[in-house]
Amino acid sequence: MLLLEGGRVVCPRTGRDEVADVLVEDGQISAVGPDLGRAGLRAIDCRGMVVAPGFTDLGTQLCDPGETWRESLETGSQAGAAGGFTTLLLSPATLPVIDDPSVASDVLLRASRASGSRLEAAGALTRGLKGEELAEVGLVLEAGCIALSDGGATHVDTNVLRRALEYSRPYGSPVLLRPSEAALEADGVMHHGQVSLRMGLRGIPAESEEIGVGRAIALARLTGARVHLTHITLARSVELLRLARRAGVAVTGGVPARSLVLTDEAVDAQEYDTATRVLPPLRPEADRAAVVAGLRDGVLSCVHADHVPWSRVEKEVEFEYAPFGATGLETAFRAAMTGLEGDVSAVVRALSVGPAEVLGRAAEIAPGATGDLVIFEMDEPIVVHGPFRTRGVNEPLVGRSLLGRVVATVVAGRVVYGPITLQG
Amino acid sequence: MRHMLGIKGLTRDEITRILDTAERFKAVSERRIKKVPTLRGRTVISAFFENSTRTRMSFELAAKRLSADTLSFSASSSSTRKGETLMDTARNLDAMKPDAIIMRHPASGAPHMLARNFPWTVINAGDGINEHPSQALLDMLTMRDHLGSLAGKRVAIVGDIYHSRVARSNIFGLTTMGAQVVVAGPGTMCLPGLSDFGVEVRHRIDDVVEDADVIMMLRVQRERLGRAMISSVREYARFYGLDLDRLGKARPDVVVMHPGPINRGVEMSPEVADGERSVIMEQVTNGIAVRMALLYLLLGEGRPALGGDDAAA
Repeated sequence: MLLLEGGRVVCPRTGRDEVADVLVEDGQISAVGPDLGRAGLRAIDCRGMVVAPGFTDLGTQLCDPGETWRESLETGSQAGAAGGFTTLLLSPATLPVIDDPSVASDVLLRASRASGSRLEAAGALTRGLKGEELAEVGLVLEAGCIALSDGGATHVDTNVLRRALEYSRPYGSPVLLRPSEAALEADGVMHHGQVSLRMGLRGIPAESEEIGVGRAIALARLTGARVHLTHITLARSVELLRLARRAGVAVTGGVPARSLVLTDEAVDAQEYDTATRVLPPLRPEADRAAVVAGLRDGVLSCVHADHVPWSRVEKEVEFEYAPFGATGLETAFRAAMTGLEGDVSAVVRALSVGPAEVLGRAAEIAPGATGDLVIFEMDEPIVVHGPFRTRGVNEPLVGRSLLGRVVATVVAGRVVYGPITLQG
Repeated sequence: MRHMLGIKGLTRDEITRILDTAERFKAVSERRIKKVPTLRGRTVISAFFENSTRTRMSFELAAKRLSADTLSFSASSSSTRKGETLMDTARNLDAMKPDAIIMRHPASGAPHMLARNFPWTVINAGDGINEHPSQALLDMLTMRDHLGSLAGKRVAIVGDIYHSRVARSNIFGLTTMGAQVVVAGPGTMCLPGLSDFGVEVRHRIDDVVEDADVIMMLRVQRERLGRAMISSVREYARFYGLDLDRLGKARPDVVVMHPGPINRGVEMSPEVADGERSVIMEQVTNGIAVRMALLYLLLGEGRPALGGDDAAA
């Protein structure tokens, strides 16, 4: 049994926002209300803090199996716990790719032993994530995967994507896609615009994402697939999604947390820092503001960590030669809190409720719900610094002053991060 | 000023100071004993990760004429290359206690990475498609020789503006000095966004030669062919090349420049390159003076504080 005592309980699904105790028994929330404490209970003093349903990340790259010098199931799970995440949905982009039931079984078996965030997995939509042949999505889902994904590798062949969406629809799982027209990404290394021209770096036009969003919406309509777009970073993408939702197309959208606080100016300000080289690239201020507004008005339902860890071997190189990606598990909450200007309810909707709903789950604090909880505070902005639990060295938010701090993370009633005391 | 990473961010005073210093160093190369003791005992390494003959020779001559100890090495560099990383190469150089590294590299921002991580002076001799500051400085010195001042003068830059570090550095420098810059080139190489840098963007060469004080032609990189950048060399020459016919429409005192090496018959006909308006060889001569000035200002005694790109230091 675990008591979360005296915190501000914020649960957007039930509409609860009040100071209360939360009691967790046998992995489930058993009671929410005043004065649930009694002697001998293990407790966390949550006074002055927020208690919310735990965060869920969609598409986390933990590079295990295959590239465990970058991250492992265990270090990633620990990093997730430190970031307030109770569930991480692993990206299938591993070596080998999770496109086969035996790989899925192996990953899920080892994942079940991770000590931090609960780890679940998405299977690949196409074999090897190559966008050429359909993967055995039925067998992979049967092996325990709970979603399908392009793993961030955009489909070059639109017809293969169409067939993959048609084929996988009867299995009923959501499909995660990174919207992009790959050919326009070709030799670009950052957002094409004033900053790229000024810095002498080849740009990726925003139209790459715009075309990707348009294509995904059109195919979701054509196939009836339930599509979630994991990387929405443009004002125009938000508008396309708004129109699609209005037309009744089953498509949802999320934004990488860092895109709520960083713009393409960061590439210049941080002097070709390879941690700022991400896909989709950091955008100008107008787009940053538009995705924040999209989260506020509900067109976008999720914030993602977009965790892509790299070691110094890969990232301590020339900007033009570095791979895309940045870490995010340990900073996503703080980036979201800062980008959403301390709007606790909006942050919880975007990190807890929205991502869980994509998976067909309800993230809430009510009797009978899973005991997945996060406790955080948000007094003063704190400068982001290491050491981090992730093995990745590519955190572009280091040195930024961000709002919010995760105090404790509870997975199925077990404290996987943070302090605990015995109540007297 | 500890580094020379780019023209971007330099003030008019700083550029003027470099050009004035270069002016004084011109004489050294005209003497029988082409050497002054200014940098005696200082070690200058030129590290070229991309082919270059003239820029490297020019920098080395500049360092030698200032009595610095110089050595140079060339290495290939690419994302797929196996072996030592740039940072490891730099750590090894650092262990040899150099005073300055003159660096050319095919990746934009590579000199900035070293400047951020090591104690010595970094001079950018061309990084990717970003900047080539010493080229822009020698170009501005050459223009000044002919025009007196840069303020109010009209400079046309023609060719692959987008992929040209020469164009980029010149645009930053010339606009800072108060010149008007107009660019022309194929649609794939001359993007509308350039107008935000205070540059007039045209496309047809005929639109820019007539009222220009200076026409600067850029080298066409043949590797751009086949990457959907230009259709053919002959079409490029027809629409963007400078020949005597086009030159005839320009002002009689126009100054014709090219950073070299020239593709004769492509961006410039031989008659123009070797003609009386061409100052291409003066550019080469001025290159040594400008590079001596840079080395002197960055490494010389009583290194003057010029500000600028020092934020990283």
